[in-house]
Amino acid sequence: MSDELDSELELTAPLVPLFVIAQGRALPRESEYEHTTIITAQDGAVAAARTLAPEARTVLDLIADGFLSVAEVAAHTRLPLGIVRILLAQMAEDGLIHVRNPVPHAERHDPVLLTAVLDGLMRIRTGA
Amino acid sequence: MTQDVLLWCLVAIAVTAVAAVVALVLRSRALGRRKRESEAALEARLRYAQGELDRAQAALTTLRDEQDGVIREAEQAAEENTKSVLKGAARFLQSLAAEQTTLLDGVQREYGGHAVLSDLMDITHANAQMARKAQGIAVMCGAPLGRRNQPASVYDVVRSAQSQIRNFQRVEIMQPSGIALKASAVAPVALAVAELLDNAASFSQADAPIEVTFRQAQKNLCIVIDDAGVGMGDEDRQRASALLSGEGLPRLSQLGTQPKFGFPVIGLIARQHGFTVDVTGVSRYGGVRAVVLLPEELWTMEETLPPATEAPVSTIRPMETGRSARTAGGLPKRGSRISPTGVTTGGEQAPRRSARRGTGSLAALQRGTQSARDTASFDIPTPGGSENA
Repeated sequence: MSDELDSELELTAPLVPLFVIAQGRALPRESEYEHTTIITAQDGAVAAARTLAPEARTVLDLIADGFLSVAEVAAHTRLPLGIVRILLAQMAEDGLIHVRNPVPHAERHDPVLLTAVLDGLMRIRTGA
Repeated sequence: MTQDVLLWCLVAIAVTAVAAVVALVLRSRALGRRKRESEAALEARLRYAQGELDRAQAALTTLRDEQDGVIREAEQAAEENTKSVLKGAARFLQSLAAEQTTLLDGVQREYGGHAVLSDLMDITHANAQMARKAQGIAVMCGAPLGRRNQPASVYDVVRSAQSQIRNFQRVEIMQPSGIALKASAVAPVALAVAELLDNAASFSQADAPIEVTFRQAQKNLCIVIDDAGVGMGDEDRQRASALLSGEGLPRLSQLGTQPKFGFPVIGLIARQHGFTVDVTGVSRYGGVRAVVLLPEELWTMEETLPPATEAPVSTIRPMETGRSARTAGGLPKRGSRISPTGVTTGGEQAPRRSARRGTGSLAALQRGTQSARDTASFDIPTPGGSENA
């Protein structure tokens, strides 16, 4: 089979490309599954995971008995963050995981309004 | 008196008649002899002419044979020339596509946390299809297939095949338990299955699923591909079987302007690597059932070789003491755990990992980030953006 003139080409890329692992799904919205979003497996999810792809099963095994952040899951599985987010979105859809979103950043409020409210409160206290 | 005269007359007539008869007989004999003579002469000439004709015919046949031979040789030479020209080009494309696949994987892992990942995955998909075509043309021209030097689970080999067709989402793969293909079989089986999947996808409706299942029959492993397409007629089936046997390959010039070299390619690589492919079956949806039959030399039970992605998980699992503390809200409490750290062993394949005990998940994350920073190489997947976490 091998030709003496040309050496065999060695294929070095991973056998299964990432888009197959993601099963062609789109990335979830930016606000979903952020780095610090905490996830954990639902009760009984591991038993129901027989039909999952190996990567999703790995994720489920990682979070089976505790919490991990999305970033941590990505680090452990050595999968790109985007792929992990896609897998998590699918698993959440299938009811396999709990998702706890990070506390949102305090929204910016108008300092004038805040001062006015504070003044009002003070007035109530002093008036009482 | 008159009686005498009459008698004489009669005698004279009789004599004349006898003489005439004798003369006639003599003449006809002479004629017969002459006829025989001329016939013999004619026959001799005919034989001679026949001989001449035979000689001429023989000469013509040899001439025609020679001509056929020359034409065949010329065609063969043209085929060889075409093949060698095309082979060079195909090998170039083949290696470029392989290089691009590796590069794209690196880029995807580097920018994995970015929205650009979607587009990168689309590009990788297009590239995977191009790589398959390049491999096919190379094989048709007698070039060797790209080689993989790591065994892989048969599930991953089929997923690799799945990645090489357009509507890959239609492929549904049953998960087999613990079967791996030997390294030498990974690339050829992936290409053969990819061509079969492409065929199944092309000849069935755009939304119909394509099912892949696995079966062990005696010492053979069967990869069964069922489509819900239109099926094949007897004539098509016979032609397909002939092509898949790897014998009587069509010439490149016979492939036509929209070349279909799926079956010839499968036939060639199946024969080269010692497996067989059959498409004469009918799927349970009435379409085609394609069966790739792998003899025991090409596969093993997977227990002997842990798959790269799953190995560390089993070593992480034994955590804590089994009691899962839950909060009032039913959510499990976060506890200390034995964390894996990714340590790549330098292979360019899917990174193999070994578990190392860490003090906590954060330490593992830090080490992971650090190791990725230290090794400025794309084959170590860094979850993109994890540095910002």
